[in-house]
Amino acid sequence: MATPMRRTLVALHRATCSSLKNADASLDLRHPLPLYLPVRTKKRYFIPPAVGTKGMKDINMEDKARKAGVAPRQQYFERPINIASTSGIFDPYIPPEGDARLSSLSKEGLKQRTEQIKQSASSQLAIRKIKEHDPQFSTKSFAQQAQEIFVEAHTALTQFNKEKLHSLLTERCYPEMTRGNRYKTIRWSFIESLEPPKVVHARCPDMISKGNLYGQVTVRMHSKQTLAIYDRFGRLMLGSEEQPKDVLEYLVIERHLMNPYGQWRLHGKIVPSWAPAKDPIHKTVMIPGPDLKPGEEFDPLTYEVPKPKAVQWSK
Amino acid sequence: MATAMTGRGMAFIRSIYGVLQSRLHALGAGPLQLSCLHTSTSLETKHWERNNLKVFPPQKPDEPRRPAEIYHSRRQIKYSKDKMWYLAQMIRGMSIDQAIAQLEFNDKKGARIMKEVLEEAQEMAVKNHNVEYKSNLYVAESNSGKGRYLKRIRYHGRGRFGIMEKVNCHYFVKLVEGSAPKVEEKTSFDQAKEYVENLKSRTIVHSL
Repeated sequence: MATPMRRTLVALHRATCSSLKNADASLDLRHPLPLYLPVRTKKRYFIPPAVGTKGMKDINMEDKARKAGVAPRQQYFERPINIASTSGIFDPYIPPEGDARLSSLSKEGLKQRTEQIKQSASSQLAIRKIKEHDPQFSTKSFAQQAQEIFVEAHTALTQFNKEKLHSLLTERCYPEMTRGNRYKTIRWSFIESLEPPKVVHARCPDMISKGNLYGQVTVRMHSKQTLAIYDRFGRLMLGSEEQPKDVLEYLVIERHLMNPYGQWRLHGKIVPSWAPAKDPIHKTVMIPGPDLKPGEEFDPLTYEVPKPKAVQWSK
Repeated sequence: MATAMTGRGMAFIRSIYGVLQSRLHALGAGPLQLSCLHTSTSLETKHWERNNLKVFPPQKPDEPRRPAEIYHSRRQIKYSKDKMWYLAQMIRGMSIDQAIAQLEFNDKKGARIMKEVLEEAQEMAVKNHNVEYKSNLYVAESNSGKGRYLKRIRYHGRGRFGIMEKVNCHYFVKLVEGSAPKVEEKTSFDQAKEYVENLKSRTIVHSL
């Protein structure tokens, strides 16, 4: 116990002697003072558990304090909330069945084509409310703007430009789009738009307090895109780069209307219940089998894989 | 050790420190001096796991498919690194099913822990690293390393003592997708034949 003490003092003594001898050492750059002086020469990188604390893990200090009569300090259960965007899609648009399948020449197709937003009164009301807060809003230009936001957001996703993504996507949409993508390479390209984008639905929900308005506008777009996702090792997981696909999408764009500096950002997508099944991934996946009671046997020939219900969901 | 310092010693050190601090500030250490300091602490970084974060660029369709590599480790296992090495050496080059089977029926303590590590790595491979078949993996690298030891006192007779080290080890494993590479076993006769051929093929250089 005396030796470390002596070592420390010796080190300091030597340092001070050298510093006191060359009073001008600080100015002389040829012999600079050591930048770091070993005060205690053995640094403990690993602090072992103290000898007497072997059974201390099971002891609950909270219970002991309560029994002694000491009240615990008041716990504040705080959770941060985001007011720049809403947490979901309110009153979602239900796309009519067979939206992009029917041609304009048949009667049903014409009916669908001529379906104006004027049929839905609440959408008109919502658009009027949006125009109050944002005078430059117009349904004709907004659809084009929405498509531009969509294309820009997906190109930023391929390059993974975080700042740009945050400015183009709401806080609800960002984790949905970027989950699992960190160690993967995504190649996406927008080839052309098959039909001009159209505003089909609008709602103006207010959150928490009465006047806090958010505007959610649904835009329908039919376009050709290519998507290829490569895993960590550069192997193709999904899609292909050459084969383009026709994609019918219902995008929800949102803006915090009360905020004068609010931006229209992509909030989510609506996937209708009648949407065609997506292409499978280039990998075989094991699915869990049925729960068997002891004594039952699994018959692979007659077993049917349960298919999920066709429900509209918003992504 | 630090608490055993006397009051006088502390005062001395404090006075010295004040003097030195003023000198150091006057010096104004330049960037050249700072660059010679070893900045990364070698005892805290976990390099083996960082290999899992490496992303390769997408492959062209004509290139051969790159096999997936999964790095996994377990730290501070209460076992000796030398004893662990024998087990690590045993499973090098085996397919994962064979390795797990061998470790399951091995009587050593480290074998149970190694089996858990291999099963974890297999699950990780299928879930996170896009490996298609969980049996299509083999152990490419398998190593044990020294963990952080604790020191205790071992009491001997006659007031003597020894310092006992409580040993810990780390275990590292790298799984690669694909079938295990076959090691060609050379018979002793072949080795002898090769040796004799080497001897026969010697030439004397720069001779007449």
